[in-house]
Amino acid sequence: MIDAFRKGDFWAGLALAALGAYIVKESLGWVYLGEDGPGAGFFPRWYGITMVFFSLLMVAGAVLKRDPASARSTLNWSELRRALGCWLALVICVALLKVLGFFIAFSLLGWFMIAIMFRQPQRIALSVSIGGALGFYLLFSWGLDLSLPSGMLF
Amino acid sequence: MKNNRRNKMMRYARIIAMALVSTFISGVACAQWKPSKPIDLVVHTGPGGGSDVLARSIAVMLEKEKLLPVRLQVVNKTGGNAAVAAAYLADKKGDTNTIGLITSVWIATPLTSSEAKVTLRDLTPIARLVLEPAVFAVRADSPFKTMHDFIEAARANPGKLKQSGGSLTSRDSIMRQALQQHTGTKWAFVSFQGGGERVAALLGGHVDMMIIEPQEAGEHIRAGKMRVLAQIAEKPLPNYPGVPTLKEAGYDVTVPPQIRAVVAPSGVPKEVVAYWEELFSKLHNTASWHKYVADNQLEEGFLTGAELPKSIDRIEDELRTQFQHAGVATVR
Amino acid sequence: MDVINGLMQGFAVAMTPTALAMCFIGVLLGTVVGVLPGLGPPATIAMLLPLTFKMEPTGAMIMLAGIYYGAKYGGSTTSILLNVPGESASVVTCLDGYQMARNGRAGPALGISAIASFIAGTFGVVALMLVAPPLAKLSLAFSSPEYFALMVLGLAMVVLLAGESLTKAILAMLVGLWIASMGTDLFSATSRFTFGMTNLLGGIDFVVVAIGIFAVGEVMANMESSEPAEMLPLPKGLRNLMPTWQDMKDCRFAFVNGSVLGFLIGVLPGAGSTIASFLSYGVEKAVSKHPEKFGTGVIEGVAAPEGANNAETGGALVPLLTLGIPGSGTTAILLAALVLWGFKPGPLFIEESPAMFWGLVASMYIGNVMLLILNLPLVSVFAQLLKLPGYAMYPLILGVSMIGVYTASSSLFDLGLLTLFGLMGYAMRKLHFPTGPLVLGLVLGDGMEKALRQSLMMSQGDIAILWQRPIPAVLLAIAVLLLVVPLFKKFNAMRVQVIDQEA
Repeated sequence: MIDAFRKGDFWAGLALAALGAYIVKESLGWVYLGEDGPGAGFFPRWYGITMVFFSLLMVAGAVLKRDPASARSTLNWSELRRALGCWLALVICVALLKVLGFFIAFSLLGWFMIAIMFRQPQRIALSVSIGGALGFYLLFSWGLDLSLPSGMLF
Repeated sequence: MKNNRRNKMMRYARIIAMALVSTFISGVACAQWKPSKPIDLVVHTGPGGGSDVLARSIAVMLEKEKLLPVRLQVVNKTGGNAAVAAAYLADKKGDTNTIGLITSVWIATPLTSSEAKVTLRDLTPIARLVLEPAVFAVRADSPFKTMHDFIEAARANPGKLKQSGGSLTSRDSIMRQALQQHTGTKWAFVSFQGGGERVAALLGGHVDMMIIEPQEAGEHIRAGKMRVLAQIAEKPLPNYPGVPTLKEAGYDVTVPPQIRAVVAPSGVPKEVVAYWEELFSKLHNTASWHKYVADNQLEEGFLTGAELPKSIDRIEDELRTQFQHAGVATVR
Repeated sequence: MDVINGLMQGFAVAMTPTALAMCFIGVLLGTVVGVLPGLGPPATIAMLLPLTFKMEPTGAMIMLAGIYYGAKYGGSTTSILLNVPGESASVVTCLDGYQMARNGRAGPALGISAIASFIAGTFGVVALMLVAPPLAKLSLAFSSPEYFALMVLGLAMVVLLAGESLTKAILAMLVGLWIASMGTDLFSATSRFTFGMTNLLGGIDFVVVAIGIFAVGEVMANMESSEPAEMLPLPKGLRNLMPTWQDMKDCRFAFVNGSVLGFLIGVLPGAGSTIASFLSYGVEKAVSKHPEKFGTGVIEGVAAPEGANNAETGGALVPLLTLGIPGSGTTAILLAALVLWGFKPGPLFIEESPAMFWGLVASMYIGNVMLLILNLPLVSVFAQLLKLPGYAMYPLILGVSMIGVYTASSSLFDLGLLTLFGLMGYAMRKLHFPTGPLVLGLVLGDGMEKALRQSLMMSQGDIAILWQRPIPAVLLAIAVLLLVVPLFKKFNAMRVQVIDQEA
């Protein structure tokens, strides 16, 4: 059992089973079969139930399969940290778009990724990120007349 | 003595100065406001949809008649049967460079959807432009020759006949509810997302009847694929001389009209509203506008000022009553 | 013969300098629009519409049509190089195209894309020319029951896209179905899974999900290692920039498959090029001698869907020009444009406006040739993109993704959704969930539900309508076979294993 906790399949299966249960619960509040045919609750109920079924199948598979190799493999936390760190940077970039505008926010994101995550020299990081932002601006905003997120500062 | 006279002079000077300043200020305020940045005209359909096409035509007409000193661009905010567009406009409080082109669905959706929080009372109505008539259409080889044929067939076979149309809160659906209640009959309603699919369903024989705008039906009728049983309009349409209105056909059923109007966000200064009102008033007097209305078989229905909110409220009340009679849940 | 006469007349119209210039501008713009993720032909055509009023209508239509089918050429570029679908139909190209790029075969992938697009695009025009009116009438016989069966067949493709774990593929597809159902229900005006947010009332845009899961998820997965190698292996030498003769031979069936299937599905109003691409990919995999290789960088897996989405444009013009029925967003605008210029698209269109119809058809031949000539050299230009070091590529991909989503919807909310789907895409990769089925579920789920409910409305709740009509019966039978045969094979394999052990 403890082995199963290590496997991603186990947790993914549980999460999806929870999602499926949520979907079914929501669908109970909608019309299942109206007078004009199936209502809004028809489809969700069925794919929700199917989702619960298959995800529990996956959980069972994770628990029952005795696979010593996969039981030993653990998550590489440093890799995960890096990926999630990058993701967090993206989230902050998007959150700041309203305030800083695309140019500055993207330059910051680029700089963060190149200088911090890839540990490249500052001049490369700055030139690529600011150059990239400039390039995007020229191509999209000026050249194609599309609007890019503009914040209060730019 | 000298002091008193100086004080008096100072007082007069102050009064005169204040008078001058206030005249200047009110003069500036009364000076015509003109837009200086491009104007966004928000529509709730995607490119190619009904409101979108009208919006683009308006932009072209305004440019042709040189009524607007800046560019008018169309902004599509689709989703939620106009709820997304309405919410977008509501966010633009006080913005003098954004207006919206609405249809009756903007009034209907907040009645049935709790997430659609923005009603027309949260926006500033500017002017109603046109009313959109509709016709009952069947395939050319259909056995129904008059509205009476269809209704009687529906009475004899409850639930068997089918109508293709839009969503539950669209005009075709509301008309069906009203007509069913009035005549005590019942027929099925099949919703399709796009106008093309609805027409295809009718022409392919999968449904028996549809309610369609005359301009959309025009070509199919001309090619002899579709026939019109009755028209839904205040005044009889010029292109359909032999076709009775619903009332003339014996069914005195009215539903809230399908309107197209212009609104602005709330919190917009009075002189800006006055500018918009004047702009669209001028537009509707131009030759290009008359030609557009005639070509697209719309009904002139220009209305602005104090009467407009009242007419909108009337539509809202009628819709609410219709929905309740039809058993559709209303949330407002 | 009518067709020959018409075509001669058409070429006379299309070969004038103005028309040629319009055609070129159109296809060039279309390619650019296709390459840029997020920006699609409908928005571009709508933006250009006011300009066209000052132009002569035939030339304007040639240009707008050029944008329409030109975009299908360009859509594969970012799909192959960056795993970012340039257009919703190009999402299928990401599956094998990006893998080919990772294997150093970006050039052949881009090249075969252009070639397949050319073959299928031309086929589409020929078919449009020859069989448009009778085919249009046939297409009217296709309604909700037929659509439903077609979508079920598409979903059965999940089995083919499954790869290792069928369970995970099915789960991914179900999540896709769930995302598809978010928004306002068409039939009952109920809002589903909107979590009380007005922004979700319109559902979630496909572009946001696809770019999030594919592009952002991929970047995150690549960020794990702090020493990114050269972004993608560079193809060495000109020979490696183009598909080889062997490649072309391998794709023989894919060319046919993409052309025919794409065109037929395009004729059906409402079906869409994404469905055409998926089905064509599925069929290609089903008849392939090495189906298990699909998803690792098989060139037929690029040729088939790319051809399909080009042939689909020819097909979509059939109901537009012969019946006046627009089948998709872009054709709806083209219809509006024709009406605004004073034309009357409908059953009488070809007779009454032969200059416009035949001029358009002729221009499409010319346009496809122009696009081929334009796109093949571009392969080497785009391949230069691969020279960028990894640390520069990944931020740029994120930038392009953000811009792509923002230009499509101008909504910061959608950008927030992009980050969420990026996280989902990363999680899927870590947990070995295939991403293709999720996209499939997303694309087909909405249409399938609507088609089923419409069918049941038509038959007053009698589900037998689905097998009483010939077309749905056949399609559903094929779908059942698709689902049952692999299970059968697995069962057989297990049986053989057991027998072996006992022996």
